[in-house]
Amino acid sequence: TMGVPKSPILPLALRGPGAESSPPPSSPHFNAISQNSLTSGSYCNPQGLQRATAVSYTESIYRSGLDEKVVILVYYLLYKYQMKESITKGDMVRNIIQTYRNHFLEILKRASEHLEMVFGLDLKEVDPYRRIYVLVNKLDLSYNAKLSDDRGVPKTGLLMAVLGVIFTKGNRATEEQVWQILNVMGLYKGRKHFIFGEPRKLITKDLVQENYLEYRQVPDSDPPRYEFLWGPRAHAETSKMKVLEFVAKIHDTVPTAFPTWYEEALRDEEERAQARAAARARTAAIASARSKAMASCSSRPSKV
Amino acid sequence: MQGSTRRAGVMTDVHRRFLQLLMTHGVLEECDIKRLQRHCYKVHDRNAPVEKLEDFINNINSVLESLYIEIKKGVTEDDGRPIYALVNLATTSVSKMASDFAENELDLFRKALELIIDSESGFASSTNILNLVDQLKGKKMRKKEAEQVLQKFVQNKWLIEKEGEFTLHGRAILEMEQYIREVYPDAVKVCNICHGLLIQGQSCETCGIRMHLPCVAKYFQSNAEPRCPHCNDYWPHEIPEVFDPEKEREAGVSKSNRRSSRSRQH
Repeated sequence: TMGVPKSPILPLALRGPGAESSPPPSSPHFNAISQNSLTSGSYCNPQGLQRATAVSYTESIYRSGLDEKVVILVYYLLYKYQMKESITKGDMVRNIIQTYRNHFLEILKRASEHLEMVFGLDLKEVDPYRRIYVLVNKLDLSYNAKLSDDRGVPKTGLLMAVLGVIFTKGNRATEEQVWQILNVMGLYKGRKHFIFGEPRKLITKDLVQENYLEYRQVPDSDPPRYEFLWGPRAHAETSKMKVLEFVAKIHDTVPTAFPTWYEEALRDEEERAQARAAARARTAAIASARSKAMASCSSRPSKV
Repeated sequence: MQGSTRRAGVMTDVHRRFLQLLMTHGVLEECDIKRLQRHCYKVHDRNAPVEKLEDFINNINSVLESLYIEIKKGVTEDDGRPIYALVNLATTSVSKMASDFAENELDLFRKALELIIDSESGFASSTNILNLVDQLKGKKMRKKEAEQVLQKFVQNKWLIEKEGEFTLHGRAILEMEQYIREVYPDAVKVCNICHGLLIQGQSCETCGIRMHLPCVAKYFQSNAEPRCPHCNDYWPHEIPEVFDPEKEREAGVSKSNRRSSRSRQH
């Protein structure tokens, strides 16, 4: 209809490498389409397709092949972003770029321009040695600049509120207690929120999958009851003190207004400081041991 | 392909956030889309006037053109509600959903799709779909597992379930109409009024032409004696109620007056 190349590409069918043991989707119906809508030269590369898409080329497409790679790479990066997975250069070259590997940088640059301009997503190289990239949401940074300068914890007050309930109820909260808070925020079980979607799925599945929350059966409860705890990622990316600050803010007061919780948060801060100091000491010890070892074996070439 | 630079002035953070949020939802009803649009303005450009939705979406689509994706507007087949979905034009198959599903799951969807298209009612029974579980490509799937996969399709808005039977969600129709027409040209049904792909609808018992329920409602609107537009025989079915945005808005206003206003900022 619009002169769009009718190539039956399935860019979003890509599975990340090592995603799962099940084989990637191969799609015979693409071949069916390619026979119906494309005239000559249907070409399927089974090797390259093992992990990637079923791609059929005709001459017209091959001419604009580079442009097409840019578009497919955009889809692939979007898919990875939604899966919250990082991307390596290897992934991109194996799955998408393939025969255009010599144009990798150009294709990547054009794709990242699209992503930035159209979706407000920034492609960042997080590891220049292993060539690992990640997409960052530019919009969140500016939107949430006025909230805490925590990196990592999703800035939605929703998660902070849930972490707050869990903390203030003795580091575990029942489902009813969590719903009390969510109801106050306008979220109800079974009622889809136009941004968050269905809240129960969000707290019992999505945030659990992302390791921000733990949702488990209360031991020995019969009939089974369930409780929420902080997940490992919450412990890593925020702290009891920060969450208490958030709780205090929504109650229009200061953390010291809650003496018991404040003490617990202080203890937590101390433990974290000690853990950081211990880690630094370990790193220093390893470094000094290594330099001693190198000094004594100076004849052996060493890779640092 | 670099036509996007020409249109660079159109994409602001308001549009980008809208696109990001729509992408995560996949499909939204019109009322939600409007609220989403207002939310994006509130967050990124508080003082700007909210652009008319149609123009807003056309602006975004002009930028998306170079990526072969589009925000498409459709209508639900059962009650005529307007919906909007982000669809991928370059692909002609189960693309968007394929990212979340394994090979055998995709094949299950394909089998369900074929049963739905071949059926008279536009619905395929759970039993019939599950009976095909042995024929699936990829890892072997048990019927119990297949039931859960079907529920996943429902949750992700590719299928609708009604009383143990499955049909296509409006989103699937928007995304895959082209594909379906190409791959199943003989089995495909088409609405006599709007000529769009038809999965659910009413048919004339004499000459066999079909119409979408919302198309029936609109066509026979104030007609006391509905007759088939093709063969003029009496139309034997009940004329359904069509979705009326005005009525919906009135109902919504009275509801929100009762509910206390609550800030939606998080």
